[in-house]
Amino acid sequence: MKKCVFLTVPIFAASLMFGACKGLDPNAVTIMGRESDLSKTYMTRIFDRYKEVTGNNLNIISYEDSEFETSALKAFSKGNAPDILLHFHNSDLSRFDPNDFYDLSGEEWVSDLTESALEYSTNAEGTLLGLPFWESSVSGCYYNKTLIEGLGLNVPCTSQSNFNSLCAALKTAGRTPICWPANCAWMFQFALDPVFADDPELLERLNGNETSYSEIGAVTDAVEWIASAYSRGWFGSDSLDTGWNEISGKLNSGEAAMIFIWDTWFYTDFEEGRYTKDDFALMPVFMNTAPGGTYEGGNLNMMMVNKDSDKLEKTLEFLRFCATPEHYNEAFSGIPTVSVFKGQTTNIQSKMVTEAAESIRLRERVSTASTKIRGYSQDDMAEAIRRLFRGKTTAAECVREMEASRLRESAADRD
Amino acid sequence: MKAWVKNTILAVLLAVSLAAVIAIGVGYFNFISQRIFDDSTVHLREIYDQVNRSFGAYIEKNWSLLRSWGNYFTLADETVSDEVIAEFIDDEKENWGFTEFYFIDGEKNYHTPRGETGTVELTDAWNILKDGGAVMTSESMPTPNGEEDLTVFAVPMQGTYAEFSFEAVAIGYRNPDISKTLNADAFSGKSQCFVTYDDGRVLFSTQSENVFSNYLTYLEGVSDLDGETLAKIRSDWARGEWDGGSSSVIRCEIGGEEYLILYQRIDYPSQHAEDPVFILLSAVPQSEVSAGFLKVQQATMRVLIIIFAIIAVAVLSVLIVRIYSQSRKSKAELQYRNRMFDVLSNNVDDIFLLLDPERQNVDYISPNVERLLGIPLKDVRANIRDMAKCAVDYNIIVPQQELDEIPMNGNKHWECEYMHQKTGERHWYRVTIYHMSIQGVKKYIVVMSDRTLEQQMNQKLQEALAAAKSANEAKSNFLSNMSHDIRTPMNAIVGFSVLLEKDADQAEKVREYTRKIMASSHHLLSLINDVLDMSKIESGKTSLNVDKFSLPELLDELDTIIMPQAKAKKQDLSVHVSGIQHEQVLGDRLRLNQILINLLSNAVKYTPEGGKIKFSVTELEAPSPQYAKLRFTVRDNGIGMSEEFQKQVFQPFSREINSVTNKIQGTGLGMAITKNLVDLMGGIITVESELGAGSAFTVELSFMLPESEEADAWFRHKVTRLLVADDEEDICLNIRDMMHDTGVDVSYVLDGDAAVERAVTAHRNGEDYHVILLDWKMPGKDGIETARAIREKVGHDVPILVLTSYDWSEIEADARKAGINAFMPKPFFTSTFWHTIKPLFVKEEAKSALPAGDVMKGRHFLVAEDNELNAEILTEMLGIEGATCDVATDGKEALERFEASDPGQYDMILMDVQMPVMNGYEATRAIRASSHPRAKDIPIVAMTANTFAEDVKTALEAGMNGHLAKPIDMTAVRATVGQLLGTKDETGDVQ
Repeated sequence: MKKCVFLTVPIFAASLMFGACKGLDPNAVTIMGRESDLSKTYMTRIFDRYKEVTGNNLNIISYEDSEFETSALKAFSKGNAPDILLHFHNSDLSRFDPNDFYDLSGEEWVSDLTESALEYSTNAEGTLLGLPFWESSVSGCYYNKTLIEGLGLNVPCTSQSNFNSLCAALKTAGRTPICWPANCAWMFQFALDPVFADDPELLERLNGNETSYSEIGAVTDAVEWIASAYSRGWFGSDSLDTGWNEISGKLNSGEAAMIFIWDTWFYTDFEEGRYTKDDFALMPVFMNTAPGGTYEGGNLNMMMVNKDSDKLEKTLEFLRFCATPEHYNEAFSGIPTVSVFKGQTTNIQSKMVTEAAESIRLRERVSTASTKIRGYSQDDMAEAIRRLFRGKTTAAECVREMEASRLRESAADRD
Repeated sequence: MKAWVKNTILAVLLAVSLAAVIAIGVGYFNFISQRIFDDSTVHLREIYDQVNRSFGAYIEKNWSLLRSWGNYFTLADETVSDEVIAEFIDDEKENWGFTEFYFIDGEKNYHTPRGETGTVELTDAWNILKDGGAVMTSESMPTPNGEEDLTVFAVPMQGTYAEFSFEAVAIGYRNPDISKTLNADAFSGKSQCFVTYDDGRVLFSTQSENVFSNYLTYLEGVSDLDGETLAKIRSDWARGEWDGGSSSVIRCEIGGEEYLILYQRIDYPSQHAEDPVFILLSAVPQSEVSAGFLKVQQATMRVLIIIFAIIAVAVLSVLIVRIYSQSRKSKAELQYRNRMFDVLSNNVDDIFLLLDPERQNVDYISPNVERLLGIPLKDVRANIRDMAKCAVDYNIIVPQQELDEIPMNGNKHWECEYMHQKTGERHWYRVTIYHMSIQGVKKYIVVMSDRTLEQQMNQKLQEALAAAKSANEAKSNFLSNMSHDIRTPMNAIVGFSVLLEKDADQAEKVREYTRKIMASSHHLLSLINDVLDMSKIESGKTSLNVDKFSLPELLDELDTIIMPQAKAKKQDLSVHVSGIQHEQVLGDRLRLNQILINLLSNAVKYTPEGGKIKFSVTELEAPSPQYAKLRFTVRDNGIGMSEEFQKQVFQPFSREINSVTNKIQGTGLGMAITKNLVDLMGGIITVESELGAGSAFTVELSFMLPESEEADAWFRHKVTRLLVADDEEDICLNIRDMMHDTGVDVSYVLDGDAAVERAVTAHRNGEDYHVILLDWKMPGKDGIETARAIREKVGHDVPILVLTSYDWSEIEADARKAGINAFMPKPFFTSTFWHTIKPLFVKEEAKSALPAGDVMKGRHFLVAEDNELNAEILTEMLGIEGATCDVATDGKEALERFEASDPGQYDMILMDVQMPVMNGYEATRAIRASSHPRAKDIPIVAMTANTFAEDVKTALEAGMNGHLAKPIDMTAVRATVGQLLGTKDETGDVQ
């Protein structure tokens, strides 16, 4: 989900690869990841703490976001794979051979992981792919409570029809009900999460190509709702021209009342204007696939261990160090995130998430579409929806395009 | 009335009518709209009054039910089990559709028949209950699943259920269930109906999922109602009263759509003074409320619009048809006029233009301008000044100033000569410019009328007049000249005849007088010949005898004739020939001879003694390979002519009168005849002259070429190499050029020594020249010495010729002794050269000239002459020549005498042409047709004053053998006789 974020933030540093390689410590554990990921505060804190506490060194190999996947794949295919690969559990991960990674299910710290974190990090075969060590945010429908209640309207919504009524009332009131930046790619997956998270068997059949999007009515329902919402003007008239950089302005001015996004965004990218993040609240996403709405759990970067590492034990020791409450609480101290570890106490949670905690508890689904559907491509889905908006395709044709993309990407993954 | 006034009135009337129609339409529309609004309001009130009453009854019913159930529970408290009560409540649930039943104690704790317990969060409603009032509220009540909003009805009631002491009972309805009571189906389901508190908070609505929390706040945020209106509504609601009765309707815009908002206090029997005020509010799109009315309104408007549109279309159609018809008619008329004008213009020689002086534009120009002036029409249209190019005299172009001076409706005209730009033909136009105002715009209409014929006629008339005057003058001059010129010799003849008679016995004087009479007679005869010749030429009766002749021979003849005259006056007459490629041409040799003799004779005549005369003949580039173009120039340094006289030198009887010319005899016809002959031959004659400095006459004539001679004669006779020696290189080059076509290789040297050396070298190389041509007079070795040297070193095989312009008779003997084979006169001609050397190569004997002898002696002639005097003279003159004759007085007698004669009796017949009874031609034809043995071969020679070529031709065609001009010249008679009969030796045999 955050891929879009990483791709759109300015690339502020050149690759450190050569410098890092030249100074590699042969005795140190090597960690490979995106430069933007490895430079997160809690990551540098845990690296520093490890070095400080154990006296061991660490080799950090970082790549620019655009080069990371290719470089990492090359490293594994050419036999110079790192000891630890920092990677999200998303569709890109399927390009790697799962047999290259150590199954961490037997580690003691597994019991300290929250259910959602554990579920996120475990693949369909039940292998724990890595230690989830990342900030976790909740994705849902963030709405401008001040604005909406000021219009005499009731929020949060409790049903799809209620949500539709709200959208209609907001549209009547001259507001853009939902900010849908069509140039971004993450929104559609919120509709699919409940479809497949609630029915693992369906997911299995889809990945086994025993069924298709077109045969799954909920997928068409979601696309039809999106098409209907767009045609009614609920996404605004400039959705197709809206991208990452325009979101903040639309929300802080009150032009748009709601957005399907994650809470951390309000702390990292939202620029306050007429409205601040305190004006916003969280309710479930209604995209015609979950009667009571849905939230998507956080996407987590995992520290995945190279099974063939010549420093396997030392690497496992490093993970154990990271999973120690003393150390991860130090690393995540003051970081706004949903807890990944049960013993996590120093992190903070956003007011929005806190206020909607009960609703989240009832409706949160683990991120499934982008991580579990084989061949799922956020960008392809976004392109199919853009073509739908432009009138190039009908909803049914849009679904077929999505299916074609899935099969294409899936075949590429197998290759 | 003027058209523009009419148009203005019409436009104003139309505008007023249109404004009236629009005003009526707007007024009608507003009226209808207001009526629709009023009717809609009434309609809306009717509906929601009913809803209000129903809902009030619904509230009352629920409270009544609660009270009755409460009483039942209270009464049954000890007799009826809790299970039975629970079953009862379940049954009632099903009957009335509420969601839950609540027993509420004094601490706001509740207990449900299903045993669920909890606390309700009633505030205002609780107070009412405590005071014994019934309530309807949306304040939070627990629900079976804890999520849905409920509308609760509660009444105070004390009792105990399942050991739970309650002080109030309540039932709760889900919003979707209770909203059914609000007649949500009205207005196609597009109405929204709300039950709110008096502050706008929404209890429930007809929305299945109500999203409105406070409708007044919503209106404040999204409608176009101003703050004052909303404040009044809030105030009215708080008081529970408002103007206009129980309900009020306002109109506002929400989200760009017109809505009717109706609100009214819900009528229910108040139980308590603090009972809340409930507002029944409905929001309906006006389009839905007024749908029926709007349809009628729209239909009415459509009908009206259609009616107006039909009327407008009809009026417009009539107008358009009328305008179109008028326009078409006007256009047709215009086209007809234009077409007619174009046709007219194309068929007349007048050009028409319409000019716009302000824009300097050509509004119209007749299309015949291209035909008449040769200027493309578009060029004139683009720039009128292009017309000026055609004007012969630019000074005649009309200046702008003159145009400006033409008064309005006035005109002005000029005569101007224009030249056709393609053919160069000139035409006179009368240009008339009319100054006019067309539709208030200043215009010039220009008419250019071709007056060429008129001009030409005038000119011809003037010329004819001038010619008549001139002819008259010429006639007078002619008569005067003739009188003078004829009288002068006649005077001499008469005078000397008198003297002759007087001094007949003095032989010396007789001879003197006779010679002078003869001279005067010849002059008189020449005068008469010229006059007749001129008359013949001018009357167009002269034709040319075209035949092949040799240019060199012609020049030789001229030289023979003129040279003695020049020598007599000690003049230097030189002949120059250059570039002659064609020596044989077709033409009238006699007429050419006449032309050149006239020119040369004049040169001799008007050049003082010792003067120089140069006669040049040059061949020019001919326009066609079938022609040879020759230029003859006679240049002298004689007395010359004045410029004035040069202009009329070719006019008949023109003679410059001065002290010199007065002493020179002349008829004044020679140059006129020459000019006419040149014209007749298609040539040109020009003159350059300066008084006292001399004159130059140039004649250029083209001659057809005869079939070419045998071009390979030179080759066949193996004459291919020629050496020329002449100190004048021009002559050498001229010879080489002239020999170019013969294939003979010409080498030349400029002196005798070089010639000897070249000949010797060639001889040594075995490549002797075939002919050597030497100039006689060269510096150093002359031609004779050179020939001698060549003979000594080379031998006698190579023919050597001497080329000279001098008489070679004196040196001929020495020359032949030196080895010269032949002489050639200058100028060099190829044909002369060939004829000179031909005998040397073909070994043929040159034809001997006619041997000298007496051609007349012993001859006997038959003379046909009707004039007795002439017959006598001829008889005497023949007698003097030793011949005899018989005279016949007409043709018939001549025929008879001949037929009666013995063969050989007559040697020749001299036949006058114009005779009575039978003329000479008829007599000749009769003789030829007679049975006389010599009818076919006896020579018959015409004697006639008709001396022209056609006379000769006619004579020959009649069967005659020759022609003698009268008066009879015995020299000519001798020549003719010699030619036809040869000479007789002593034996009388013809040689």
